[in-house]
Amino acid sequence: MTWIVLWKVMFVVVMIIFALTACLVTVFGAKDIKRMLKALGEESKGLAGDDDSKEN
Amino acid sequence: MTDAVKEAAQEAFSQTNFGAFDWVIVGVYLLISVAIGLYVKRYVSDMVTYIGAGRKVGTWLGVATMTGTELGLITVMYMAQKGFTGGFAAFHMALIAGAATLFVGLTGFIVVPLRKLEVLTIPEFYEKRFSRGIRVLGGVMLAFAGILNMGLFLKVGSMFIVGITGLPSEGEALKIVMVVLLLLVLVYTTMGGMISVILTDYIQFVVLAFGLLVATGIAIATLGWDHIFVTIGEQMGEGGFNPAAEDSAFGWEYILWMTVTAGLVGSAVWPTAVSRALAMESTKALKRQYMWSSVSFAVRFMLPMFWGICAFVYVMTSPEGADLKSLFFPPEGSEAEAMNNLYAMPVFMGRLLPPVMVGLIAAAMIAAFMSTHDSYFLCWSSVITQDIIAPLRGGDLSTKARVKLTRIVIVLIGGYVLYWGMFYKGGEDIWDYMAVSGGIFFTGAFVVLILGIYWKGASTFGALLGLLSGFLMLLGLEPVQKLVGLRYVNAAGENIERLSSAQLGLMVIALAFTTMVVGSLIVPDKNGGLDEKERGAG
Repeated sequence: MTWIVLWKVMFVVVMIIFALTACLVTVFGAKDIKRMLKALGEESKGLAGDDDSKEN
Repeated sequence: MTDAVKEAAQEAFSQTNFGAFDWVIVGVYLLISVAIGLYVKRYVSDMVTYIGAGRKVGTWLGVATMTGTELGLITVMYMAQKGFTGGFAAFHMALIAGAATLFVGLTGFIVVPLRKLEVLTIPEFYEKRFSRGIRVLGGVMLAFAGILNMGLFLKVGSMFIVGITGLPSEGEALKIVMVVLLLLVLVYTTMGGMISVILTDYIQFVVLAFGLLVATGIAIATLGWDHIFVTIGEQMGEGGFNPAAEDSAFGWEYILWMTVTAGLVGSAVWPTAVSRALAMESTKALKRQYMWSSVSFAVRFMLPMFWGICAFVYVMTSPEGADLKSLFFPPEGSEAEAMNNLYAMPVFMGRLLPPVMVGLIAAAMIAAFMSTHDSYFLCWSSVITQDIIAPLRGGDLSTKARVKLTRIVIVLIGGYVLYWGMFYKGGEDIWDYMAVSGGIFFTGAFVVLILGIYWKGASTFGALLGLLSGFLMLLGLEPVQKLVGLRYVNAAGENIERLSSAQLGLMVIALAFTTMVVGSLIVPDKNGGLDEKERGAG
């Protein structure tokens, strides 16, 4: 396999996988955001008033 | 640069398709980003939330934020420069980056043990494994190298905006763009911390991913798939494809250096990537995040390189790009100074893409610029707060004080970035500047992390020697090289470099490894080492 063929194949394959990844991340990433904000919202309510706690 | 060249450059830059409506698109995007920062401020309850998003990031969001951070405008610019000067041979870096990230995803190399220890930063690991002193030293080196590393981000990002929008490349426009972008990033990063960073990363991912694919399709349709390869072959010879060829811009030393920097360090040691790993909800999600991100890690190098290659082909062969050829490659014997080739890709994109599309790509690139800046600001400022100031005060710092301190440090780093972008005069390749400045931290950290995690015999004294070795990377910066005689101009007027950045980097890593092993054997710790569970074995 020549270098030109290697780079051509790599370019096309990576483009296809990246397009697929972009679709999956767009859809499922939005769901992850909802889940994260819900969990953080509940957590921040629970921690309200505990602002001066010490951390390591 | 002479006045005639300046005029020719301005004339060439003004031929962009970027118009008023494109400015509106960019403006709307920026407003949305700032609004997100203000909105999510309500969720910031403690430092784990502020700098780690409460460790509640799922796999897909993790992929988006990892990509959003690592696919910054600075990456796009310097990788386009690599493609412009090195042709398809530069693709070896993309191959290495993708393969190394996949390796980390499959094995959990370094990042899984760190996540299991529930540390927020790499220096925090140093304290758990070695001592508080090593944490502070590691924090100082990390912050120093990291802040130095991002010194040119603002300037290079602004060069892209100037290039694609057709703003004047000389004069005040570049400075104004730098200040405005900086202020916007500072507002939403100081407000929302990691949560706003992750949300803007997600938006950036969506806009940028599809924008990259469409723009690449337009470039291929315009220049011709075969024509691109044929032109590189004609202009660059075998060196345009084979990175190890004699006439290549790279060579074996460079490939080996890239295996470390663009490969393992970029995915498993570089703090902004690691901070994403440490924000994941579980080690299983973390490994999945890395496996999927391996594609993005290859793409973040490969696509900008391809744009740089297309810009080169456009400049060298297209009748419409003839005016650019004399700017970037002045005829031999001419006294005209060549235009900085960082401008080649954005100017090309400004002419290639139709109105609206060019606005969307510019917005996506500004998003890329902002998401990298916010992550870096947050990362270095949290290291200064958590790993330098707080330990030096014996950990006696309230949550409120830490968040406030982190915000102040973010603003101070912003001031430095503005200053450095305006006044640093080093002439090295941007990627090489970044590899060298980042190397001050990662050459030592790479060794200390690997040996600290996987070798029970690693000791505090060994870690100290390993970390300190990283300071030798300062010898790779162009002004320092000139000062100590490693780089000079000979009698024939040629630029002579006695030690390349790749050679220096590999030597420093070998030195860090040797000193850490020898130091650990000479002065061992009484107790130490992670157990099997903490190392992530099995």
